[in-house]
Amino acid sequence: MKIIQDLKKDEKEIQSLKSRSRIVLVVISFLILAGLFKIIQLTILDNNDYVTESDKNRIINMPLFPARGLIQLQDGTIIAENIVFQGIYINRKFIDSSGAQIELLYKKVLQDRPKFSHLSNKGEFKEKIWLVDNLNEKELARYELYKNSLPNIKLETSLRRFLPHKNLFSHVVGHMGRITRDDEIYFSTEKYLSDSLIGKVGLERVYEKSLRGFPGASAIEVDVFGKKIRELERILPKRPSNLTLTLDLQLQRIAREELADRRGAIIAVDPNTGYIKALVSSPDYNPNVLNGSENGKPFNKVFKDQAPFFNRVISGSYPPASTIKPFIGLLGLEEGVVTPKTIIEDKGFFQIKEDGRKYRGWKEEGHGKVNLRKAIVESSDVYFYELSSQLTVDRISNFLNKFGFGDITGIDLFNETKSILPTRNWKLGTIGEAWFVGDTINIGIGQGYITSTPLQLVASISAIATKGKIFKPRLISNSNIQEYKPELLMEVELEKEIHWEIIESSMVAVINSWNGTAHNLFRDNGIKIAGKTGTAQIKSLTDQELTVREEYQDVRENIKNRDHALFASYGPIPNPNLAVVVIVENGESGSAVAAPIAQKLIENYQLKFKPNE
Amino acid sequence: MSRSPLDYSINKPLSSRFNPLVFIFKDLILFFSLVGVLSFGLFMLYSASGQSMSMVYRQMIYICGGLILMVFVSQLRPNSYKNLLMHSYWLGLLLLVYVLIIPAKGYETSRWIDFGFFSFQPSEIIRLILPLSLVAYLCRKEIKPQLSDWLVTSAASLICAFFVYKQPDLGTAIIVLTSGLIPIYLAGLPFKIIASYFGLLIVSAPFIWSGLRPYQQERVLTLLDPDADPLGTGWNIAQSQTAIGSGGLYGKGYLEGTQSQLDFIPESHSDFIFSVIGEEFGLIGISLLFMIYGIIIWRIFKIGYSAESRFERLACCSLGFIFLLFILINVLMVIGIIPVVGVPLPLISQGGTSIVVHLLAFGVILSTKKT
Repeated sequence: MKIIQDLKKDEKEIQSLKSRSRIVLVVISFLILAGLFKIIQLTILDNNDYVTESDKNRIINMPLFPARGLIQLQDGTIIAENIVFQGIYINRKFIDSSGAQIELLYKKVLQDRPKFSHLSNKGEFKEKIWLVDNLNEKELARYELYKNSLPNIKLETSLRRFLPHKNLFSHVVGHMGRITRDDEIYFSTEKYLSDSLIGKVGLERVYEKSLRGFPGASAIEVDVFGKKIRELERILPKRPSNLTLTLDLQLQRIAREELADRRGAIIAVDPNTGYIKALVSSPDYNPNVLNGSENGKPFNKVFKDQAPFFNRVISGSYPPASTIKPFIGLLGLEEGVVTPKTIIEDKGFFQIKEDGRKYRGWKEEGHGKVNLRKAIVESSDVYFYELSSQLTVDRISNFLNKFGFGDITGIDLFNETKSILPTRNWKLGTIGEAWFVGDTINIGIGQGYITSTPLQLVASISAIATKGKIFKPRLISNSNIQEYKPELLMEVELEKEIHWEIIESSMVAVINSWNGTAHNLFRDNGIKIAGKTGTAQIKSLTDQELTVREEYQDVRENIKNRDHALFASYGPIPNPNLAVVVIVENGESGSAVAAPIAQKLIENYQLKFKPNE
Repeated sequence: MSRSPLDYSINKPLSSRFNPLVFIFKDLILFFSLVGVLSFGLFMLYSASGQSMSMVYRQMIYICGGLILMVFVSQLRPNSYKNLLMHSYWLGLLLLVYVLIIPAKGYETSRWIDFGFFSFQPSEIIRLILPLSLVAYLCRKEIKPQLSDWLVTSAASLICAFFVYKQPDLGTAIIVLTSGLIPIYLAGLPFKIIASYFGLLIVSAPFIWSGLRPYQQERVLTLLDPDADPLGTGWNIAQSQTAIGSGGLYGKGYLEGTQSQLDFIPESHSDFIFSVIGEEFGLIGISLLFMIYGIIIWRIFKIGYSAESRFERLACCSLGFIFLLFILINVLMVIGIIPVVGVPLPLISQGGTSIVVHLLAFGVILSTKKT
């Protein structure tokens, strides 16, 4: 009986246990259901999202940049190339947690270097912070030794731009720099990393797209620490183009030597193609320092306030001074205001009205009876005062514009300026005054409001050389995929072709005739050159009591007030193949300072075409 | 309860022959399911630990030791260790107090006891000791438990939970409390008392919340919106969800899980090993694992319901529920339904204490099986 009683009691208990268990199971089964639903949601319903998410976690797409295109001369001489550098950087997100590692790095590896000071600069948005970007061999060896204690500090090899000729081509090739916001906007269609190097000025900037090539991509699998595990996929980059310069190494060297320790600009162009043969702006700088491929300072301290980065050839606006005279003369002939025979009496000054202001010429006693030829040869100011006063500003600026004054030439360099070709509207808009005849008279001798770049001057002077054709100035003749053919920029057509001859022969006489302003260049059996000197006044001389010479004696006490020396020329005659403009800032004498440089360039250039004996 | 001579002939079919496997392992289905899960766990551990054989070997040693202990305990008669279990409560309590007073060095929280050659978490042990000792206490007399018995056992659970909470480990404290309350409830805790417990809980809820540490509150809040701070506390959950979700139906294949192999899943070898399973074997792998777990739980309750004494039945069912609860809590945590608490996936996650304790529990379960 006891067993049966026990069994019954057990039975009751088991029933109670089972029913209580069931209640717990019901409660738990809600949780189980919720769990199962969530698992199905994760693995089936939202599977695609999570696959994407997990790929985003592990796959990083790294652009692959091809080595930058070379810049070379026609004969293959390398002007800009790439050299290998080792740098170390730290990832921005580890910067705060790696204090000890940075400490160790400077203590053991970069023993002699000053500590990088911008480490806590959080304003800049860059992923990689470069501590040093040009490790030397000793440092590299030490880094290898301590590598394992510096897990957050990474080594990366990079290519840097290097110009074997250093300063010689600085204003042509330009330099590279880390990309900035402005660059990103400028090259918005391209793919750049936040620490990419990009061409900042010069050919590096203008031909950035071709020099850079087309980046490829590499899909890299990384772990949670960003460590590369393997490469999943690779799209090879498209090779960039190598550019061939139009420049002539010999001319470029001479030009730079001649301008050494002076401020100024030289440009030499083949007037028949627009191909630039020499382009020098002085002072210049060492682009390698900015490219990070050389240590030191980009330029000597003495040049500090002489704007060594400023490309005077394309961005410097100078008064054209007397070099404008051939064009004014040409306009006078074209308009019929003067003929070659028209005589003007040069008494040393010009007055609009009889008792009006005296516009003085540079020669106080005057040139006497002057025709157009003599006016150009001796550079009579009074002749051109008279002529321009009759031509009016409208006709002058209209005509000068046909030669490229007041417009950019479209040279393949960055930051070319238009300079100023004044008109009535320009003066009203910019200065807020009406136009006076006096303003026109100043333009007649290339002073006053008118300015031009050496590049504009050389383009306009080559129009005389080619009888009207101006080719777009170019530094690059071709790349390995494309040829940049000479491109006619503008063509000036005259009523009478003979007017070209008149102006040219006058310009030849500037050198060849005994009274020419640049007769110092004349040599028997020398190469025939057409040229025009110019002396651009920095300070206007208005004292009516003193002579020009007397007043200038005071002014030139300050070197910065001395006149600029200009010379615009081309040669040889006939069949000119080089047009040269030389500007020497504060050089005072166009004939003594600027003209010999131009002659030297033209003469040297001819050596190329002599058959080898 | 003394055995009657008749029992033998009633329960034992005359035709059955002596089977040494059954004699040793008691329940072959349960035993081989366990071995299946354990070996699967070793495979997963190899993948989740970044293919570290040494970790697998260590785990293997624990598994072997655990299995030997399990077989040994399963051969004992429950009545023979019933009283021992009841008093083991004091041992558990002692360990909990010990870690609070003398915490092991090198750990952020005082959860560990370090014996030099091996270290373990007393809270892992208390999860097993507490329910068994409470069941033993409630079944120490033939008569039904009195009110005082209910209160004593409830208080005993609360005390244990409180010490664990002090470590501080809120998640485990709740789990310890639950594993204490389950046997009390199954033993027949009157509904009136249950109702009054709930009343007390609701009244004291605001005080409990304000007593939580900020990081604990944060963990609870993270659960409500895990996307709010993807790199903060919710990052773990987001990464493990990504792992399971990207595994899809079939999974990425063994050792092919990118989330786990590239270390995106934190603690992938211990608490988050389930997401490695999900990523590499997909929904199918998860389902298979759940099926084996299901078989194990079915066998536990099968053995429990047919056990002879009240103590055996209660012990079995309590342990069954606790086993189910651990699986549930771990999985729900890994898929992001409940906050992250330190509960390993039973029999699979890396961790010696957990494995040995679970296998000991299965030893107790197997010992209650009628042969």
